[in-house]
Parts: sequence; C-alpha cells; structure tokens
Amino acid sequence: MRSTRIPLALLGLLVLVAVLLRAGLTRAFVDDLFSNEIPRPIQLRVWDWWSPAGNEEYGQYFDAIEKTFEAQNPDIDIVYQIVPFGNYVQKLSTALVGSTPPDVFQSSVYWAEGFHQRGMLRPLDDLLALNAAAPPPERVTEEMFLPSAWQHNQAADGTVFGVPQIIDAQCLLWNLDILAEAAAADEEIRALFARHEDGSIDYQHLRFDAVTDWEHFRRITRKLTRRAADGTVEQAGFVINAYGGGAGMFSPWLAANGGRYQDAAGTRALFGEAAGIEAMRFMGRLYWQDKVCPPFRRQISDSELFQERKVACMVAGTWSGKDIIRNTLGWDHFAKTAFPPGPQGTGQKTVTWGNMLVVTRRCENVEAAWRYIQFVCSLEGNMLRSKILGYNGPRRDFYDTEQWQKAMAERPYLSNVKQICLVGDKLRHTEIIAVNHQVNPVIETLLLRFPEIEAGTGPHASVSAALKEAERNANGVFRRYNEQVARWLAAREQN
Amino acid sequence: MHGLVPYLYIAPAFAVTIVFSFVSMGISFWASLHHYDAFAGAAEFAGLGNYRRALFADDSYFWLSLKNTAIYSAMSVVGVLLTALPLAILCQKARRYQALFRTLYFLPSITPGVVLALVFYHIFGVWGQLLDNAWTSLPALALLGVWSGAGYNMVIFLAGLTEIPRDFYEAAEIDGAGRWHQFRHITIPLLRNTLVFVMVMTIISSFQVFTSVYIMTQGGPERSTEVIAYTIFINAFAVAGQMGYASALAWLLFAVVFVFVFIQMRVFRSRRIYDE
Repeated sequence: MRSTRIPLALLGLLVLVAVLLRAGLTRAFVDDLFSNEIPRPIQLRVWDWWSPAGNEEYGQYFDAIEKTFEAQNPDIDIVYQIVPFGNYVQKLSTALVGSTPPDVFQSSVYWAEGFHQRGMLRPLDDLLALNAAAPPPERVTEEMFLPSAWQHNQAADGTVFGVPQIIDAQCLLWNLDILAEAAAADEEIRALFARHEDGSIDYQHLRFDAVTDWEHFRRITRKLTRRAADGTVEQAGFVINAYGGGAGMFSPWLAANGGRYQDAAGTRALFGEAAGIEAMRFMGRLYWQDKVCPPFRRQISDSELFQERKVACMVAGTWSGKDIIRNTLGWDHFAKTAFPPGPQGTGQKTVTWGNMLVVTRRCENVEAAWRYIQFVCSLEGNMLRSKILGYNGPRRDFYDTEQWQKAMAERPYLSNVKQICLVGDKLRHTEIIAVNHQVNPVIETLLLRFPEIEAGTGPHASVSAALKEAERNANGVFRRYNEQVARWLAAREQN
Repeated sequence: MHGLVPYLYIAPAFAVTIVFSFVSMGISFWASLHHYDAFAGAAEFAGLGNYRRALFADDSYFWLSLKNTAIYSAMSVVGVLLTALPLAILCQKARRYQALFRTLYFLPSITPGVVLALVFYHIFGVWGQLLDNAWTSLPALALLGVWSGAGYNMVIFLAGLTEIPRDFYEAAEIDGAGRWHQFRHITIPLLRNTLVFVMVMTIISSFQVFTSVYIMTQGGPERSTEVIAYTIFINAFAVAGQMGYASALAWLLFAVVFVFVFIQMRVFRSRRIYDE
C-alpha cells in the first residue's frame, strides 16, 4: 500500500506544478477555464502604466475600452498589462528582446524618441496613409490633431512612430477665491476675470490672456501675497519648488520668453542663451526680491500648498483639475492660463507633450494593433477618456463636441485648456533623464543661492555662467547619445 | 570516490556563486571596456575610455560622488561604533528583558530600506528641514544609516562581548582597575576582531548606500548627496547605452573599497592578546 502512495503523491504534485506553470497563476487562465466564450483567434498584448491600483478610474477606463473595442472586433482579445512608470523602460526593453513583447503600448514622450532610435518601434507611415480615407471621427492622421499634440511622435526625418492619445500642457493654475477677494479692492486684479455679456464680472473664468507680461505677473503676485507681522508669508502669490521641480518650471517660462530648451534634432542645448538667462533671473527675483513665494521646502509640494489655499498661483498641468477636486472634496474654484510673455516673447506660451500609442517592431499582428490604435485615438476613444478620466483630447474635433462643451459648463476651469494646448512648444525630448541629471542640480543651485550668485560670491560666477556650464554638460549628453544612435544604426545595418 | 563527496555537497552553492558573482563580475568588467547597451546588444571596444571619462572628464561626477560617499562612510563608521558598542554593553548588563531589547534594537535592520527612507523623509521634514540644506542632508542620511545599522552591529558586538572571559574583569577588579580601565585594557583589545569586522562591513555597506538617496534626495540639494551608487544607477539604467561607463564606475568603486579594506585589515591585523 505504502509503495503506491509515494508515486501517486509525486504524480499529483507533478500535475499540480504543470497546471500552475500553464496557468502562469493568472486570473485570465482561471477565467478562461470556466468561461463559455469561444476563444478569440487574436490576442493583443497592450502595455500601459495607468494603473487601476493607484486610481480606480483607470480600471473603469480600460474596462470600457476593452468592452467597446472587443464588441466591434470579435476576433481580437485585448490583454492589458500594467507596468509601473518608473520601471517601464527597463521592463519594456527586456520584453522586446525576450519572448513576450507587447504588441502595442503607451509611450511617454520621455522615451518614445529613444525607442524609435533603438529600432524597437514599427514606423506607422504606411498605416496612416491607408487611414487617410477613413471617415473623420475615425481618422488618426496629422490634420485631425492639434499641432502641439503632433510634435513628439515623429523622428527628425519625418517618420511617424506613434499616434497621440492625450495632450498635456503646463499652465498657471489660479485660486479664484483669493483672486475674487483681492479683486474687490483692486481694479488690476478685477481685470483678470472674464466678463459676462452684460458686462458684469464672471468670477468663474479668467481671460486666457489675462496676464499680459512678466512685469504684470510680478505686480499681481505681489498684490496677492499676504505677510504676517514678522514678515513670514501667510498667503503666497506664487510658489516655486527649487528641489527638482524648479527645473521643470523653467521650461515653460523659457518658452514664454521665446527660448527653446534644445534643438529639434537633439544635438544642441539652447537654454543657456539670453532668453534662458532672463527666465532664470525672473524666477530668482520672484522668490528672492519680490518675496512672493513660501520658503523652499522639499517635503511640501506646490499642489499641497495650493490645495490648502495658501498659494494664489502655481505651475500645474492641464490634467490636474480633477485631482484637486478629489483631494479637496469638491473645491473647484480655480482657473488656468498659459504663461505670459517675457521681454523676448511674442505671446502667451507653454510647453506641451502628447503621450502616444506605438506598435512594437516585433508585433505579430500589426493589423489588429492598428485597429486598436485607430479606436483608442479616434473621436470615440477621446470621448471615453474625457468621460471616465476627465482628460481633454489631442484631437481638434474633440473640442467641437457637445460633451466637451458640457464639461466646460460643469467645470469652468477647463475653459482655457484648448487655447493653452494650442500655444505649446515641444517639451525637451532627447535623453530627458540624463539631461535632467546634468541640468537640474544647476537650476536648483541657481534658485537656492540666487542672491549670492547675482552678487558674484556664489558657487557660480553668474547666472549666465551657470547655465552655460549646464548647457555644456547637456551637450555632452546629446553628443554621447548621438554616438550611441549611430552605433545602433550600424548594428541594425549589419544584421 | 569518497574523497569527492564533500565537493559534491558544496558544488551547488559553489556553482551559484560562480554564476551569480564571478561570471557577472566578469561580464561587468568586459562591459566596462566597451560602449555597451544591455538591451540593444551592440558593443564596441572602448579600451580604457570609460575609465578615462570617469576619472578626467569635465562632466564626470565620479570624484564628487566619491567624496560624498567617503564622508557618508566616515560618519556611518563613527556613528555605528558610538551607538552599537554602548548599546551592546548596556544590553549585556541588562538583567531583565535582554531579549526584548535585542529584538527592539534589531528591528530596524530587518525593516525594508524603502520603508525606513519614506518614514525618515517625513521625520526630517518635520524636524527642521534637514534635507533642504546642502550642509545637513548628507549627515541626515548618515543618521538614518546609523539608526538602521546599529541594532545589527549591536548583536555582533554582544556576541563578541560574551566571548570575553569574566576572569579577566574579576582579576582587573582585584587589582583595582576601574570601569574605564577595564573597558580600555580588556574590552577593546579583546573585541579587536569584532571591531574590525564591524568596521569593514560598515564601510562596505556605506560605500554602497543607494536606497535612502534614491528615495529621499535624488542626489540633491546641489549634488550634496550624490553618492557613487546613485551615479552608477543613473548611468546604467536611465541613460541609453551607458552601461559600459556605469560598469567602469562600479569597478572604480570596487578598487576604492578594496584599498580601504586592505589598509584597514593591515592596520588592525588580528593579534594574539594576553594569552602568551
């Protein structure tokens, strides 16, 4: 008896291990086991970092996309895999040389150009040419998108490697409670608000071009700053985060002053020129001379201060309204504008980026992948994202829909979003993390020790010298990166 | 055949060590001599170019990060010795609840570094913005390192202390030696090997400090906490095609730690004490 027990137990164990291995311990396998559905012939693997674990709305969004798309495409089974943003590049790069790469994935503008240059993405030009005849709501060609959204998805030679699924822009976010209070006694602040048709002040909306230039911005933030008897800032007109965040804020002010962070080909940094020096000194003066900001604190974010109503204006993203409403349990009395022009600027400006859907070079069913992209990036896909996630879309026709008009009526802070997105310059795009590693600490030092540097006693001889040093180092990153791109190209040609 | 049995027993562990330590070290050294991209697979021989760049290029942060790491390491070694040894002596003297104290002090050592870093990130923020200032941020990180390592080293010291025969102290007491003299002439000399072990391990681990920097400061403010492991990480995983350069940095770090430890071992070489 005992002699048969052991082999039977071993056999049982073997079967269990085989089942677990086959299952990959996935819920999908268990679901399949008990499902009556006929298996679909095409399985489309889609990667994203929008995780339902962090925001349940992403789960609802993916469910809606999957349900609608699979109903329209009965031969395709979408399998979503959520990968954390911080590990995306490593995991994706590993998957692309491994055996289970995704077919389609959302790519941040941080990495898209690099993935293309590594030869990991399939060019989409031929598919876009075929799509040109589709009805407008289903068309995903260039003319259907805001120009500022169609900037990050192509190489210097014009090859298109992605289709934008969102558009993000940096903007100035204003606390309308603080502004309305100050407007009661100040004509200049009152003039920032839009007017109703009868000429009365519309306290729900700011004019898109409310702030005319940097001097105007300085005056307004000074007026909105309230100090205690000992001089400490009780209510700040503006907030600057020196620790890393300050470097991010530098880009839109630079754009507003007519400057560019880098050239389009990714060979040269340009932020150390006159426009950049002026932008940097403008930020430094706001903090140190005008004293309109709360003290630099690493542990307290700008948005925390804004949500606590301690700050009248902060730099945020066009996507940020919904988060603020959620975190403040319903407060939505704020408005967005672009950045006012600096001395060398020509109008309201900002920087924009459009994260995109891309097809991997190793995608096994390009036709199915393209159908998915067409759906997600169509007007219908944009509307779903707007409805569930509250995002504005990168498509032109999105802004003509009733749904968007209704959203603007319900949430007035959305009213300037389209105009903000339209005036966006392209965000820096070449080797962003490596460039940040070189440049951000310099900007951090410039903000933290601005008075010493201006006086010539700081760790840099001047603002100009500091930015030139950062520019040189960024150029080193670009040079090495372009050498690496040449090596990738050579390797691909050899293969 | 019998002679082979012991080798067969150690073969699995030996194979794992060979593959995951020495082979990977070999690959890393090979990578350090190439322009290497781990994902694209393309490699081009660079000779000593990566080492030259690390040591002499204008935009290299090797020397700065080495200086920061050395300062961090010095603070950690001093901090650990000044906390773990007194804690061990106090713990040894505790007549009741010794096991409880040992457990409490040991707990930080088994708490994940990320959790500790997040907790201390907020503590330092509340306690006066230690991470906001270039002068205080590195000592603040070292404080976290000492706090999390003290318990583990206390246990090592405690083991060393229990090895010292009581007879020595009794004889010293009869001869009229006070507490300080007993500590100075009995405890410290007989703990020499433990001291060397703790110092070597603390130096090695502090030269590899990464988690707290990554979570709490990202090398800032003003690069004051940019340590060498962080520089290696950024180049290896955040910059395209710089794995070779990052490997060169790692080998330079290995060389520095090796020299440090070698000198330390020579200076504090084990000696026979009091039993000749």
